[in-house]
Amino acid sequence: MKKISRREFLKYLGSVLTLETIFMKSEGWSKEEKKEFYGLLVDITKCIGCRRCERACAEANGLPIPDISEEKNKEVFKTLRDTSTTQYTVINKYETEKGVVYVSRRCMHCNQPGCVAACLVKAMRKRETGQVTWDLNCIGCRLCMISCPFGIPKFEYEKAIPKIQKCDLCFDRFNKGLIPACVEACPTGALTFGKRRELIEEAKRRIKSDPDKYIPYIYGEYEVGGTCVLYLSSVPFEQIGFNTQLGYEPYPKYTTGFLYAVPFIFILWPLAMLGFRKAVEGGKKHREEEKKE
Amino acid sequence: MRKETLFLILLGALIYLILIVYGIKQVYTAPAIPPSKEIVITKPEDKIVIAHTEIFGSLERPQVIFDHKKHVEAIKKEGKKEWETCSVCHREKKEKLTRIKKEDEITKEKKTEERDVLVFEFPKKIVKLDKEAYKKAYHDECIGCHKEKLKEKKKAGPLTCGDCHVKEKEFVKIKYPLVEFDPKFHYDHETKLKERTGEKDCGLCHHTYDLKEKKLVYQNGTEESCYYCHDLSKKKRGPELSQIVKVTTEKRLSYQKTAHERCLSCHIKINKEMEVSKKKGEKAPPLECGKCHTGEYRTIADLEKVPRPDRGQPKTIFITQNNATAKEVYFDHSFHEKQYKTCRECHHERLKACKECHTVLGKKEGNWINAAQAMHNVFSERSCLGCHYNYVKSKKECAGCHFMIKPIDIRSLNPKETTCEKCHTGKTKPNVTSIAKLNPNQVKDIVKIDILSKEYKPVEMLHVKMINALIENSNLSKLATYFHRDEKTICLGCHHNIQKTEIDRNRAPLCRSCHLISSENPSSTKLISAYHLSCLGCHKKMNLDKGIKCEECHKESPKKPKEIVTEKNWKTIIKNTRNILQVWHPE
Repeated sequence: MKKISRREFLKYLGSVLTLETIFMKSEGWSKEEKKEFYGLLVDITKCIGCRRCERACAEANGLPIPDISEEKNKEVFKTLRDTSTTQYTVINKYETEKGVVYVSRRCMHCNQPGCVAACLVKAMRKRETGQVTWDLNCIGCRLCMISCPFGIPKFEYEKAIPKIQKCDLCFDRFNKGLIPACVEACPTGALTFGKRRELIEEAKRRIKSDPDKYIPYIYGEYEVGGTCVLYLSSVPFEQIGFNTQLGYEPYPKYTTGFLYAVPFIFILWPLAMLGFRKAVEGGKKHREEEKKE
Repeated sequence: MRKETLFLILLGALIYLILIVYGIKQVYTAPAIPPSKEIVITKPEDKIVIAHTEIFGSLERPQVIFDHKKHVEAIKKEGKKEWETCSVCHREKKEKLTRIKKEDEITKEKKTEERDVLVFEFPKKIVKLDKEAYKKAYHDECIGCHKEKLKEKKKAGPLTCGDCHVKEKEFVKIKYPLVEFDPKFHYDHETKLKERTGEKDCGLCHHTYDLKEKKLVYQNGTEESCYYCHDLSKKKRGPELSQIVKVTTEKRLSYQKTAHERCLSCHIKINKEMEVSKKKGEKAPPLECGKCHTGEYRTIADLEKVPRPDRGQPKTIFITQNNATAKEVYFDHSFHEKQYKTCRECHHERLKACKECHTVLGKKEGNWINAAQAMHNVFSERSCLGCHYNYVKSKKECAGCHFMIKPIDIRSLNPKETTCEKCHTGKTKPNVTSIAKLNPNQVKDIVKIDILSKEYKPVEMLHVKMINALIENSNLSKLATYFHRDEKTICLGCHHNIQKTEIDRNRAPLCRSCHLISSENPSSTKLISAYHLSCLGCHKKMNLDKGIKCEECHKESPKKPKEIVTEKNWKTIIKNTRNILQVWHPE
């Protein structure tokens, strides 16, 4: 292998650094902004159930375009749908005491995702900016499906080489400096994209300014250790299909205790037992000696 | 060594004792009726549950369901009139009432009268509040009477335990619908009693308790609701009333008990008198449970023409205070009376003027809430502003504009003198008939919203038609007419968050003046969201049939700006996106 001289190395390093700074600036989000988790605030009270987010999602991700005419919508809203391999986001209609409520569901992008912890090949990744993305090196083991508290990752059962599919909060669009497609398409501002910290502030401001309209709870602020997708609602979350029994513990934390215990059980435990045996034997000898005396 | 073992044994015994005591307590404090097994009967047909959980706690034997009607019928068969049956099981007591006449306050003429009142408690004897005593009294009186009937060889009630304490009816709960003594009832009683006695005498029902002389006092002109003193719930009260309520709680004069005493004693008396006079066409006042506990209630609309109880209250007043800085407020008391069923909804503590407790600086009697707070608190149901806000919130005609104007804004907007002057008029009666008509030259007939049009044709908004409909709505309500005197106030519904002076100069700002087309700030509303939220929000809140569906506003535009992916070409696009993916994660 050819040796690189000190001078040459410094030259390359300098050019790479300058190039990087230039290119980083040309992108939409500056480097400093990229340090924080981004997220999505879903204000359920503002959603009118037009399904434009579903169409925009399909357009952006190259999925079959759904028909969102009003006659079709009526038919679609008759059943409660789940996200699928061809629909990363869906809107469901709920009849509640406060009238009709439309709830848009997608991947919650947990702060400490169970799917990322479970993935064997690191196909699922938690990005620095909050998105949980999936790569093409997925081996189709479906461990992420089991580990997800919201049941979001979906498996392409009908394909020969199946992979996992789910919302990645438009990570490619984000890298170009754009906001997610669903947020751009929303006509009522029910979806807001921004930094997670600012979104929580905004959600609290909305609750404070209209305490009659909202229930004073942000779904996703603390659920499973916090999620990047946050929900505001006018009706209790149990009534609109949300699981409120998840707890505030991040899912990967449930396994860390066990995993840390493995070395102790296999190495330290036998050692401790051996030591105990030695100590007992020593005591026996001592007593026998005492008896002899 | 010995000391240690002794100590250990003692410790063990102590823990054992604690566990036993705790366990026994757990067993005996178990809830009497598990709410899951409760059977609620709302049509009781004069049946009563006898449980007295306030004395007995959890019951040893199942509760007794007492058929009141059956017992009354049985006594009637013996030849007694309906009004005579009550005194068989319920005791009579003498009640003293001192009457003071307001007219001769200087002489303070006092008359003390005695009257008979039936106490509707069951053990006829006065029994002390003790488990054993109560049990004995019940068993003595019930079984005693049943035995007597058996001796007289009549059909008698049960004598054994299980016949009354029926196991199947353990969890039955009987709920009578509450009787609402609304203004119609009050007016009917007032007129009928006046016919009967010849003069207006409110002392038959109304009285107060004199704390100094410790007796009941009636002074005409000071009548109050029974709830003030006889509602024994533990809500917070002022210093005077809490002392009176303490007395009523000691004497166990709950609202339920006193209402039965007061109403039925009088009904029985009148029944008795009618027996003697025997006038034709006169209806005897009811004595059966179901005749008062009907479960039917009148709405405020039904009671619109019924006169409210008169105790000398003014029809209109100029509300003011000593040392008040703000001007007087004209208040139409007789109009506001008819918006409620009871006086208690505003006069929450006692039937006095607001300013007697809520002074400019606040007083102990008024829980240190000053006049400004008492009148202007937006979140109270009794204050002027709070009640007006609740009214506006409940009406669908108002909701169109007022769903955006929140109560918090009233304080944060820093109200100007003109805002205050709407109510604080000084000593002149404001004369508001209806709001002025719109000048058609000042406003656009049709507004074309085309700034965002891409997929659809520009939206045409019928501006004048909309304003006229809102003005018409506003003129229907007295409150709206008063506050929307100027037709330009209506403009503020959509052109919000600005000063009215700008509209006075005919310069209403457009939506896009503040709402940006695209914005990354989460707290700012984008233009497209602002349009949809305010248009659709108003249409939905006002329950309009038109303008809810997309097509009603948006007409399809012939040209499509974006190349839209169809079901045929989506596979090729997936390939393209995969290529993009490989750019950012080369394997």
